[in-house]
Amino acid sequence: MGEVIVITSGKGGVGKTTTTANIGTGLALLGKKVVLIDTDIGLRNLDVVMGLENRIVYDLVDVVEGSCRIKQALIKDKRYDGLFLLPAAQTRDKSAVNPEQMIKLCNELKEEFDYILVDCPAGIEQGFKNAIAGANRAIVVTTPEVSAVRDADRIIGLLEANELRNPKLLVNRVRVDMVKRGDMMNIDDIIDILAIDLIGVVPDDEKIVVSTNKGEPAVTDDKSLAGQAYKNIVRRIMGEEVPLLNLETDEGLMIKLKKLFGLKAT
Amino acid sequence: MEENIVTFKGSVNGLIVIMKEDEPFEAVMEQMERKIASAGKFFKGASLSVKYRGRKLSEKEAAKIHDLLVQKSGAEIKEFSEDTETSTKPVVNQSEVQQHRFEMKNYFFKGIDEGRTKFYKGTLRSGQLVSFDGNLVVIGDVNPGAEVVATGNVAVMGSLRGIVHAGADGNKDAMVVAFNLQPMQLRIADVITRSPDEKESRNPMVPELAYVKGDMVYIERFLPQR
Repeated sequence: MGEVIVITSGKGGVGKTTTTANIGTGLALLGKKVVLIDTDIGLRNLDVVMGLENRIVYDLVDVVEGSCRIKQALIKDKRYDGLFLLPAAQTRDKSAVNPEQMIKLCNELKEEFDYILVDCPAGIEQGFKNAIAGANRAIVVTTPEVSAVRDADRIIGLLEANELRNPKLLVNRVRVDMVKRGDMMNIDDIIDILAIDLIGVVPDDEKIVVSTNKGEPAVTDDKSLAGQAYKNIVRRIMGEEVPLLNLETDEGLMIKLKKLFGLKAT
Repeated sequence: MEENIVTFKGSVNGLIVIMKEDEPFEAVMEQMERKIASAGKFFKGASLSVKYRGRKLSEKEAAKIHDLLVQKSGAEIKEFSEDTETSTKPVVNQSEVQQHRFEMKNYFFKGIDEGRTKFYKGTLRSGQLVSFDGNLVVIGDVNPGAEVVATGNVAVMGSLRGIVHAGADGNKDAMVVAFNLQPMQLRIADVITRSPDEKESRNPMVPELAYVKGDMVYIERFLPQR
């Protein structure tokens, strides 16, 4: 019996879709059977991030309306065998699906897959309600910005109101240098406000932009620091205890270099 | 005397009585009696289930009207209850969606040489869908994420980067032409092809034509360049 994990944030642009793509790919890398569901009907992105947009024939709305079988709509990933995508419809809107249909769909997918990751749209309206309906667990994505944290707090409240206890926090796009200077919110400050368990911290990484544009999740790139962070998060989802990644590796190297040249490390 | 306190309306399931809310109950009764009388033998012998709308009735009032209907109309009243069904007016969005998809049919649209044609002027952006039962000409671009569906040919006077479906109800002779043919996905009748995964740098803005021959999609330049 599989598990349904919803990835949500409230605020837009904090990295829900990137996180979904990376965690999904990471789980598939470890040999799990995974399906990613894009519930952002009308503004779908997950297919683009996965590089699968040209394969879409049927979508989530076709499935819930019964115009095709689930198997027909699932798109097999081009790199990993156990990874599938159920894309959202682009020419419809959020009201095309209701929470009951999502619960039914998730239950059917649970039979066959180990993990079902639901990519939630921004906002707290219909699309959000659909996305969380069938979920067993939730991951709340936020960035170290006051606005994103505020929205995450609201989302955590709504999740708890919908019987989704113990959501996990993922802090995305952290810039260690800025945190050190005090220009960016500290991870501890964020946990202080939100008071939920941390599942991982993902550094801000240029490689994410590149990988998103290429349609290849960063988790497959061994050199990417963000990819490493996602790999650790994947292992934590599977129940392993993994220490937090040391995000200062890059800067550490710079300091070492500077020391090498006899400069004063700042 | 107000004329339309009570309106009778036929429906698929029987008779619907619409009563005005702000009139006294006596007036409703009185007018209903007259209406039934004027209908004469219309209801006689019929077997009706009657629903009412527009006015909440107490049990007593409902019973009174039920009695009146039984006595005066001469019809067999199977039931008399409030109409709980909400207005059956189709939601605009849904009827729109209905037209979007065409079923594969044995009798498909054959007017691709000469037949009804729609011209759409403007750029189609992601999430937009233009569909037509006939040939379709887009004067503008079709961006990624947009969809163009026609039962006949599709011509795009611009760049075609979205999803295109020609001969959507089954005509394999349908073709797709565009000034710049780079569709995410191209479908003709039941044949589906997709763009290659590697970004190939093709010469942009070369008018091309796509057609189906033996379940394969062929793409060729259509400008005479010899």
